[in-house]
Amino acid sequence: MIFNEMKMLRFFRVASAFVIVGLLLEIVSLLWFSPLSFVLFAFVAAALIGLGVLIYLASLVFAMLPTSENRG
Amino acid sequence: MGPAGIVVALSVLTIGVAAVFFVEPKITMGITGKILAFAGLCILPVLCIAAGMNFHMQRSEQTAFCISCHSMEAYGKSLYIDDPKHLPAQHFQNHRVPPDMACYACHTDYTIFGPLKDKLSGMTRIYLQYVSTPPNPITIKGGFKNAQCLHCHLGARAFEENPVHIPMMASLVSNQMSCLTSGCHDKAHDVANLSHEKLWKPGS
Repeated sequence: MIFNEMKMLRFFRVASAFVIVGLLLEIVSLLWFSPLSFVLFAFVAAALIGLGVLIYLASLVFAMLPTSENRG
Repeated sequence: MGPAGIVVALSVLTIGVAAVFFVEPKITMGITGKILAFAGLCILPVLCIAAGMNFHMQRSEQTAFCISCHSMEAYGKSLYIDDPKHLPAQHFQNHRVPPDMACYACHTDYTIFGPLKDKLSGMTRIYLQYVSTPPNPITIKGGFKNAQCLHCHLGARAFEENPVHIPMMASLVSNQMSCLTSGCHDKAHDVANLSHEKLWKPGS
């Protein structure tokens, strides 16, 4: 269980890092008036934020899976 | 605060919440922390993506955005040609299309997925601008469709009762004959002769 929690916390940290970097890039894309700003938003910022959200959701799923010592 | 300001504020708020979980992920052990984590790492980021996408879609419809590409500058300038025979110029100068969305108003595909298709074809243009070389002159894939003119003009009295339009109405509606046919409305973005044209200065 402790191992599972530690793993989940690490996942949370990675997910937050992706979300933070993605959002910083989103802010840059919003303030930058150039056709490339859309590319930056759609292909980099949104992808990083989405990945962060997916890692977070995956960590919730993995946290619910029984570990080898709990398996019956 | 403008729309960009609202999205930036939402993003900053989300960064703040996400930063808490980055620095101290242990707070997610409690029930309040779990709820906050769900808000900060799922709901708020998804909201930020949606708000950002909406902002970018609206900004890409602006005339200033379209002509921010170097290869489109001449097309933007052609909107100021001081000659009523120049179709885009007279639409732009007389506000027959919203001047801040002039390019989008005449070049979008007025269908459900039109804005999405426009965005995808816009990506090709970005590739040509920054990676490859834009064609000279710039052409529209499949040609300019009458549907884009008819979106506004069809049903308008001045258009439908015009004695020149009446005999060819069926051909115009079916796109068999282009509105830009030589001898009709054939002066559209005449960028090749732009240096010889007199330009209109707003307010003069």
